Amino acid sequence: MAVVKFSWNPSDKNRFALPGVGTNGAKLSDEVLINNARWFIIFRWGVIGVLLLFQVLALIASDELTKIGITHQQGWPLAVTLVLFIANVLYIQALDFQRHTKYNSPAINIWAQIIVDLLCLSVVVHFIGSIATPAPFFYVLHIALACIFFSTLESLVVTALVCLMYATILLDEHPLIFTASQALTIDPGISVLSPLKINIFLWMFTVDVLFIIIWYVVSRLAIVVRIHEHNLVDAYEEIRRAQVEKDRYAVLMTHQLKAPLDAIRSKINLIKGEYCGEVSPEIREVISKIDHRASGMAALILDVLKLERLKAAARDNNAREQISIETVIHKCIDKLGPIASSRHIDVKVSLQDFAVAGIPNQLEILLENVISNAITYSYDNTTVEIVAAVEGAGSYGTVTVTDHGIGIGEKDLPHIFDEYFYTPRAALHNRTSSGIGLSIVKTVAENNKLQIRISSEQNAGTAFSVIFPTVISVSIPETKVHAGAPGSHLVNSQSPPLDSGKDGNELASTH
Amino acid sequence: MHASIQQQDADKLPGQVPGSASDQGSTVAQRIAHIDDDPDIRDTVRRILEANEYAVESYQTMNDFMVSLWNSTNPPDLAILDVMVETMDIGLEAYVEIHKRFPELHLIFMTSLGEEIRPYFTGLSDEWILIMEKPVEPTSFLSIIHSRLENNES
Repeated sequence: MAVVKFSWNPSDKNRFALPGVGTNGAKLSDEVLINNARWFIIFRWGVIGVLLLFQVLALIASDELTKIGITHQQGWPLAVTLVLFIANVLYIQALDFQRHTKYNSPAINIWAQIIVDLLCLSVVVHFIGSIATPAPFFYVLHIALACIFFSTLESLVVTALVCLMYATILLDEHPLIFTASQALTIDPGISVLSPLKINIFLWMFTVDVLFIIIWYVVSRLAIVVRIHEHNLVDAYEEIRRAQVEKDRYAVLMTHQLKAPLDAIRSKINLIKGEYCGEVSPEIREVISKIDHRASGMAALILDVLKLERLKAAARDNNAREQISIETVIHKCIDKLGPIASSRHIDVKVSLQDFAVAGIPNQLEILLENVISNAITYSYDNTTVEIVAAVEGAGSYGTVTVTDHGIGIGEKDLPHIFDEYFYTPRAALHNRTSSGIGLSIVKTVAENNKLQIRISSEQNAGTAFSVIFPTVISVSIPETKVHAGAPGSHLVNSQSPPLDSGKDGNELASTH
Repeated sequence: MHASIQQQDADKLPGQVPGSASDQGSTVAQRIAHIDDDPDIRDTVRRILEANEYAVESYQTMNDFMVSLWNSTNPPDLAILDVMVETMDIGLEAYVEIHKRFPELHLIFMTSLGEEIRPYFTGLSDEWILIMEKPVEPTSFLSIIHSRLENNES
């Protein structure tokens, strides 16, 4: 007897995940730390500038500074400036020019920055005045920053360091506190706690309490922010997983729907290829019709998947690439050429190459659909003209595909981009239309911020223009004729009757 | 001939090499392994290839093929893999595994999804992977097989 236990762990579902998607929490955190380390370094250059200014002031007005209680004779500003300068150079070196290792991580870099800064600040506080001036309050800045970038415990360590350093300064400046306590033990009868000492103790205690309160408040706030950040990352991960799952489902459904059709069509191809013996013309005709309908259905199934993927791509911030229009058009013609020649349709091409920024592959999908439509709805033994040109003094580019076929009726023209829309006339001409092709075109146009202009006349043909509002580069104009098109001639894109919509209907569809 | 081919397509043991094609000619026929869970596709591919003097080994599952390949001292000249056989991505996993052990063996994917499966191939291999879309169309199918095997020889 076989016993199988089933369990569905959501983490297993990502086995078939799209690669290259997803964020690494630790990496992101490192990036944030690096950015902040850089920000600190820039900020420190500012401080160095202020210190240099202070030295200039000291040279000009030394007496005034002494009067307000700032001592500068020892040359401390120069020493602090020098230390900060060297430290800053070392931070940059460690951050940008050394390999990041266990001992050279952005976190250690920031720790070093905070400790060196605290030491320098302590020197400044000592010389500017530990009680008389508001200099000690600059310690608050370090505590707040430590709360934001470090864990609560680490920021508490920084706060303790601040308290310790400040206490050291006070003890250093007022050594009587020490001697007093010794005197106290020798002779308890003598009162040594003068009002000044009480004041210093009170001051130190108050400032330390302030530091701890600030640490508590800011670290609480930082925790709240971190929780929100964490939730946001989780939510993004959830969305990403849902998208991958959706695509996986779409792929599975497409496969399950299309596979039986493919088996049927493979068998049909066996008969057509006479692998099962000779086939009478009547049977061949019937079989071809079956295959034609089945191929339409197969195309529809794949188109639904394509459309879903294009819509999903619109939500992604895809990296745009520079794409050459000429290359794209030639790829499309290579694919569709055989279909055109089977119906004796000449594809004539006149190209002025230009490059546009677009999502890779999408422009090919768009133009393939447009050219394929032009071929499908052309009358046999006609031509399809493809013209690429840069217009408006190089400001925008157009690709116009003109066919000589059934055209689009005035009433239908506004609806052609509706999903699953097809006209009885079009259906009569092409029974395999899925009604999705132009929805795909519309989605690609939206994704790539393109405009589309259509002018059409019933029973004469359609001119379908894709307008690229921004052209990156324009090459030297050249004209080419699609190889293998007998009797081809250069096409005038202004050829009547489909040029400007004078006689036909015109629709300007913007994204 | 066709009757014998149909017989051979019945459940074969993994690694079993049919002799029909190689028996016919004086030269040794090139061997092509084909893995697909759809019996109709297997039958179609076999008929087309055998009619064109190739020896075909059909496998219903990727596992059957891999077991046979690991145990074989003489791997086929070319293998046509389905992407979704037992599971959704078995074809991709098998590709990586086979490519590692038999870098010389030419592999072609054949799937109903055609190029739409390619996003799942990213990062699989540096070289261009050939994907054929079903259905099997004899003329283009044979030309692809022919050109691949010619590359193999050169």
